[in-house]
Amino acid sequence: MKLSKKVVLLGPFGVGKTSLFRRFVDNEFSEEYKVTLGVQIKKKVVQLPDGRELSMIIWDTEGHSDNVEDTRKSYLLGSHAFIYVFDLTRKETYASLNHDIDYLTKTYPKVVAKVIGNKLDLVNEKEITSQLKEHNIEFDCLTSAKTNKNVQDFFSDLATEITKT
Amino acid sequence: MAKQVKNDLYFNPRIQVIKVSNEGIIQETNKTFFDWDIKTSIYEAHPFFEILRTFAEEDTGQEELNFPCIHLEDDQSERICDVSFAFATKDITIVLFDYTQKYKDLNKIAQQRNESVLLAKELELKNKFLLEKEEFKNSFIANINHEIRTPLTSILGFVEVLEKTKLTFEQEELARIIKRESLHLNALIDDMIDLSKIESGTLKILEERFSFQELIKGFETSYSKVAKAQQISFETHVEKGIQEYLIGDRTRVYQILNNLLSNAFKFTEEGKISLSITKNYQRTNKVSLTFKIEDTGIGILEENIPYLFERFTRFDLDKRVSGTGLGLAIVKNLVELLNGEIKVDSIPEKGTVFTIKLPFRFELLKSSPTQKKKKYTLPDTKNKFRVLLVEDEEVTQYLIMKILISKGNFYVDVAMNGEEAINHIERRKYDLILMDLTISKIDGYQATRIIRNNYGDKFISEVPIIGISGKADETERDKCIRSGMDDFITKPFEQEEFIYKITKQIAKKATH
Repeated sequence: MKLSKKVVLLGPFGVGKTSLFRRFVDNEFSEEYKVTLGVQIKKKVVQLPDGRELSMIIWDTEGHSDNVEDTRKSYLLGSHAFIYVFDLTRKETYASLNHDIDYLTKTYPKVVAKVIGNKLDLVNEKEITSQLKEHNIEFDCLTSAKTNKNVQDFFSDLATEITKT
Repeated sequence: MAKQVKNDLYFNPRIQVIKVSNEGIIQETNKTFFDWDIKTSIYEAHPFFEILRTFAEEDTGQEELNFPCIHLEDDQSERICDVSFAFATKDITIVLFDYTQKYKDLNKIAQQRNESVLLAKELELKNKFLLEKEEFKNSFIANINHEIRTPLTSILGFVEVLEKTKLTFEQEELARIIKRESLHLNALIDDMIDLSKIESGTLKILEERFSFQELIKGFETSYSKVAKAQQISFETHVEKGIQEYLIGDRTRVYQILNNLLSNAFKFTEEGKISLSITKNYQRTNKVSLTFKIEDTGIGILEENIPYLFERFTRFDLDKRVSGTGLGLAIVKNLVELLNGEIKVDSIPEKGTVFTIKLPFRFELLKSSPTQKKKKYTLPDTKNKFRVLLVEDEEVTQYLIMKILISKGNFYVDVAMNGEEAINHIERRKYDLILMDLTISKIDGYQATRIIRNNYGDKFISEVPIIGISGKADETERDKCIRSGMDDFITKPFEQEEFIYKITKQIAKKATH
């Protein structure tokens, strides 16, 4: 049987979830902002280091306004990983990050939860890293969907991690 | 159940019913909008349905599940549906409710709402980037200005020294060229600094009382000489009744008029140039003046006029004369900062008229004596005056020492940094300190504060200090005065001005 895992992109609106989704699945990027309503789903088959193939079913969800609890519960069912995305240029998008991650890990303890700071191309990496540290924001990766920086590596590492669990 | 659903809803164009086995094989479907074949896998129809694998693998105990707003598409169709799964023992019934239009309408509202937030952020970011760029540019200009002015001071100073030595005709000519080009470079730096300040909004407009008549007379005197040399005529007309003293920014008014007059002389080979000033209106203590600078020069082509006030604008004809290409941009910006107006009329080969309107204030019922530069002389003493020069640039040290020693009234000691300066003043009495501001260890401001505050001995704490800097701005002057210095001189300086300031401070101290 084919190996298949569900990965859900979560986070406030306008942080670049759809851009990461499109960059990872189709290797495309558009400057134009288009709101996502509900959820769009695409599949990407990735090769694992051990030679097996994994179908990553990526769910790109509608961005929330206040916190992640606004996201429809049915979207989260059967997930193997959550990718919580925030915008490095907008502090308000990581204001409730710690609360959101706490909620996700407590409610879905078996699901791998990762945090991505996106739009790295618009900020100074050193400065933002120290700012995030000051705000006690822990993240797994800083990415730029626009320049493709760290995007493919992040998803590859995630694919390996979720097939181990 | 599926049959029931099929019979009831078969003709509803917005609903599609699909019955699949627990293994995900399509058993029945009405194909309302997705043409998925029976006996094929629902997992292959769209990745969304892969979620069913989870429920097949793990018994979740769910009887029914609803997924609102799912984007579904295949080769022929694209829909936004609410999807419901009804789990039975052997199969699953999937119902797709097509709400594409409803969701698209909602999408528009969400798009507008989110876009407004994101656009505001984007603007804020762009603004931040522009500000950072501007700050970088301004600090770069300020620093490069300092770096250029220091060697330029030496060049100009030594040329002046050189001019006083015995020179052949050719050497004299070469010295004259070096001086002219150095002065041009100096003017370019001044222009760059001014423009940078104007653009960053840091140029302060002063309100000071000044003799307007004297300002115009100054132009008359200096440009009459130029006109004579160029064999053209120069006239000034001031309408009767214009106040002798006005309140405004004399320096900037001078800069505007000087720039325009200097341009007129550059581009006029024959005929005449005139500066006329008339009263536009006068109300209570406010007066608006119109300045006209008219020449019979080469003129400006009509198509070039819109670009005339842009930075670094130099038209083909201009190549005959030197200039920075910044002058008119500065003039326009200054006029606007002074709440004035500027316009230009020109006919090629006939001449150009620049018309400027500027507002001023004036004091009612008051007359003031003319303020002339007070003359100072060094106190009459048999001893020479001892000056401490705190400067780390050897060339500048050499230049200042040469200027002072050649006067015959001064001994000069040199300190390379603030620390050495402190050591010197503790060991010897000085009549004056010349303090470079950017010296190492302890900078000029700090060294001055130490001298002013840490010594009970008045010979030390009250010694006159003149700051020397390559930065020619009000902030620098202000910093010097606030740190306790008595005066400030900008590099490059004229020897006469330099000696005047030193004499003034020593004379003032002697009468104190």
